[in-house]
Amino acid sequence: MKIHYGTAIAAVALVAVHILMRLTQGFAESLEFESVLANYKFVPYAVMLELILILLSVHGFNGLRVILLELKQGRIYEKAVSYGCVVAMIGLIAYGSRTIIMTNMGMV
Amino acid sequence: MTQDEHKEGIGGMFNPTRYGIERVAYWLMRLSGLGLLAYFIAHIYETSNILRGQVGWDEMMQMTQTLEGHIILAIVIGMCVFHTVNGVRVMLGYGGIGVGKPARPDYPYEPASQNYRHKIGIYSSIVLAAAAMMYGLAVMFGE
Repeated sequence: MKIHYGTAIAAVALVAVHILMRLTQGFAESLEFESVLANYKFVPYAVMLELILILLSVHGFNGLRVILLELKQGRIYEKAVSYGCVVAMIGLIAYGSRTIIMTNMGMV
Repeated sequence: MTQDEHKEGIGGMFNPTRYGIERVAYWLMRLSGLGLLAYFIAHIYETSNILRGQVGWDEMMQMTQTLEGHIILAIVIGMCVFHTVNGVRVMLGYGGIGVGKPARPDYPYEPASQNYRHKIGIYSSIVLAAAAMMYGLAVMFGE
């Protein structure tokens, strides 16, 4: 539970900053290509996005694991759920990191 | 236990009049968590479209910046606020805050942890989620 609660508290603070960035400009304006690109190229913001990606992936897939383990128990089932969630989490982090890194390095 | 005692089935599990607002919060917490995970995955995919350049990004924005897209985003805002506020309540309870002092169990054996403080926390999270949804809709449709 410490991982779940720790990632939750950290994510709340960072996601609040992420949402406030949408509100500093107009909502539609903040979603324009140039504006989003500028966000990704600003290194501190890109680092924050990467942290949010990792924190929410760990929190989300750990939460899914807990829900699935509540529904059914069994040695093989529990191992499959736990490993499945870890693999999905790593996959999502890798896919999201690819976007952040490639955009930050100007590979768009 | 007779068959009749099970007659409500899964519907009985959801029944808030039998188990109280705490059961409602339990279900809402899990449902909002699953909804937010689904949105998070979709959001990662959505933002990856920036790698397709301006045309790809604009195509994706045309798909998501619609009436339906805004309604889905408003629901996501509501789920996010409820999950956060109720999560803080659960964390405080986990840390022993607001669950009352240990006492001798006397009839009618009401659980000390299911007290008015936590009920207020649950109702507050629902009200704040509704308010945030309204604010989100105002921002999205106010342009």
